[in-house]
Amino acid sequence: MAQLFLQTIWFVPCYALIGAVLTIPWSPGIIRRTGPRPAGYINLLMTFLAFVHGVIALQATWNQPAQQIIIPWLQVANLDISLPLEISSITVGATVLVTGMNLLAQIYAVGYMEMDWGWARFYSLLALFECGMCALALCNSLFFSYVILEVLTLGTYLLVGLWFSQPLVVTGARDAFLTKRVGDLLLLMGVIALLSMTGTWNYWELADWARGAHPDPKVITLICLALIAGPMGKCAQFPLHLWLDEAMEGPVPSTILRNSVVVATGAWVLIKLEPILTLSPIAMSALVLIGSVTAVGASLIAIAQIDIKRALSYSVSAYMGLVFIAVGTGQNDAALLLVLTHAVAMGLLIMSVGGIIWNNITQDLTQLGGLWSRRPVSALAFLGGTAALIGCPPFGSFWALLNLADTLWATQPWLVAIVLVVNALTAFSLVRVFGLIFGGKPQQMSQRSPEALWLLVVPMTLLLGFTLHLPLVLESLSLLPNWANLNDDVAILLFWSSVFGCTLSGIIYLGNFIPKPVRLPSTALQNLFAYDFYTPNLYRLSIVFAVDRVSKITAWVDRFIVDGFVNLVGLASILGGESLKYSTSGQSQFYALTILIGVSILGAFLSFPHWSAYNIFNSGF
Amino acid sequence: MQLEYFLLLAAALFCIGIYGLITSRNAVRVLMSIELLLNAVNLNLMAFSNYLDAQEIKGQVFTVFVLTVAAAEAAVGLAIVLTIYRNRDTVDMEQFNLLKW
Repeated sequence: MAQLFLQTIWFVPCYALIGAVLTIPWSPGIIRRTGPRPAGYINLLMTFLAFVHGVIALQATWNQPAQQIIIPWLQVANLDISLPLEISSITVGATVLVTGMNLLAQIYAVGYMEMDWGWARFYSLLALFECGMCALALCNSLFFSYVILEVLTLGTYLLVGLWFSQPLVVTGARDAFLTKRVGDLLLLMGVIALLSMTGTWNYWELADWARGAHPDPKVITLICLALIAGPMGKCAQFPLHLWLDEAMEGPVPSTILRNSVVVATGAWVLIKLEPILTLSPIAMSALVLIGSVTAVGASLIAIAQIDIKRALSYSVSAYMGLVFIAVGTGQNDAALLLVLTHAVAMGLLIMSVGGIIWNNITQDLTQLGGLWSRRPVSALAFLGGTAALIGCPPFGSFWALLNLADTLWATQPWLVAIVLVVNALTAFSLVRVFGLIFGGKPQQMSQRSPEALWLLVVPMTLLLGFTLHLPLVLESLSLLPNWANLNDDVAILLFWSSVFGCTLSGIIYLGNFIPKPVRLPSTALQNLFAYDFYTPNLYRLSIVFAVDRVSKITAWVDRFIVDGFVNLVGLASILGGESLKYSTSGQSQFYALTILIGVSILGAFLSFPHWSAYNIFNSGF
Repeated sequence: MQLEYFLLLAAALFCIGIYGLITSRNAVRVLMSIELLLNAVNLNLMAFSNYLDAQEIKGQVFTVFVLTVAAAEAAVGLAIVLTIYRNRDTVDMEQFNLLKW
């Protein structure tokens, strides 16, 4: 039975796709009488089926070698594009994570989207995401990974732009699409160039090829940089990070999915490409550099945000930066573990915060406060998410970070320092958010704040439970490091960095020693972080400016030079006709004159060959 | 006497006719210039007939035809001029530029 489920694992993405299609009739324009709710229930059912399917298949695949199913797709001339599916515990586990998170997000959305009519659109897009991510997890081909990434980019555009009557949503969706598109297009260049070198897009075959290959260093470096650019946009890494900030305009339930899982799609492709990337030391250094800059920069920015969702979205960028560092130093296992622990922890944080937004309306941290006594479940969920995200010993991310830092300790100690700094900064940022929401005195917006609907609380507590059990799960899967060869120094440093961040933040935001809102000595510095290094201005002054100018110039050239030349021909003909018509003077004597001139010229022309023979000028009469 | 002198005279007459044809403002003088042209042609025909075709004198036959046709043409021409004159009370060629562009 389980084997059957394992062999039909390719059906997992299809559930969601069927759900997405079945949802469409409940768009307000088609079924007008029942309201949009059945759309959500259908999708919940389909996601639940996919989740159960995945869980059963996961049991069957555990401790089994990875298999591959090949589905033929297209064979043209010498190019054979077939879709290979990798069935291993990692890929099936990834589909379980995706469907599980999506299941929780969808239950959450039933409560959160209570007052909304757009369920059909919302749920079909969520289902599209689930389908895309499960397909991405299963597919074992770089080409199809690219295809799915592009579909997900379109999905992001539509999902962020759900409430398109708001102007900021429209600009946010635009930026999310274009920024990710740029990365994807660079990725496409890499994908195409890689085929000519390797002759295959299958990840396994690519890894085999990479083991014995000695390609031209410059070529492989360029290809690897292009391959990095795609995940760089997907994972919201510097400098392609602004879209994640603006994507916070979308509805919270989709944010749960995006912040926890969707951004990890880029990291997934990156992890799969790691064998290729190791061929180029420059690309690996670039990965580490991008990851470190993003991790430190984004966690600094997160501290300076006053919007709850944005404060969390920058932490996502920071943790994806850590994943980049892990891949850049060749630690796929640490990267995968980090993706897993980050996904559940960040999902939990967003769920907690979404419930706060749901009935306090404002997202402004400076207008919230004092919710601890009245929102204990949300507060505990937030604390659980915080503990699971930073290096707090028994919980998930501690092991991932430890795993990462442990290997770096011997090779690149300065990267351990970055991990510690990011950990401390994230701890500071999350405790700050906690302190501003749940600590202090109630403010006007948080005077009356009942706990949210059960539909919001139940998925949150379920995820909280899973997050707290994650270490046990990891232990049972023997993914935790052995106590014997545990690096005590790194573990203690990691622990103390978290404690340091939490304590400092707790003193500042939970104590009454410093007046709120907190002001840094340098306002310019504070603004620099608050406006995320003025990235919109940077975009506007560099790429957007250049493209805008060039397109204006091109449009001008098209309108005036190209069109002008063609129009000039027409105009010249008109002018010619208009001016030459005056040759028809109406004077018949003038006509006679023209006839005469014509005849004379024709005569002169015809007799020209004979002039020299007669030589009329010299002979005389 | 050579053929060339006749031809040159005829050409001169023809050119005078052309000059008159193009420059005259009086429509009747235009008709007169046309008569000069035809007569220049007749001179040519006679000269050629005399010097080149003295036996069959086809040129002279041509000349007779041209004379008769010229007479008819002049008559019709004068009729046209008269008709225009009736309508417009003038025979000035420069007043007849109605059919332009």
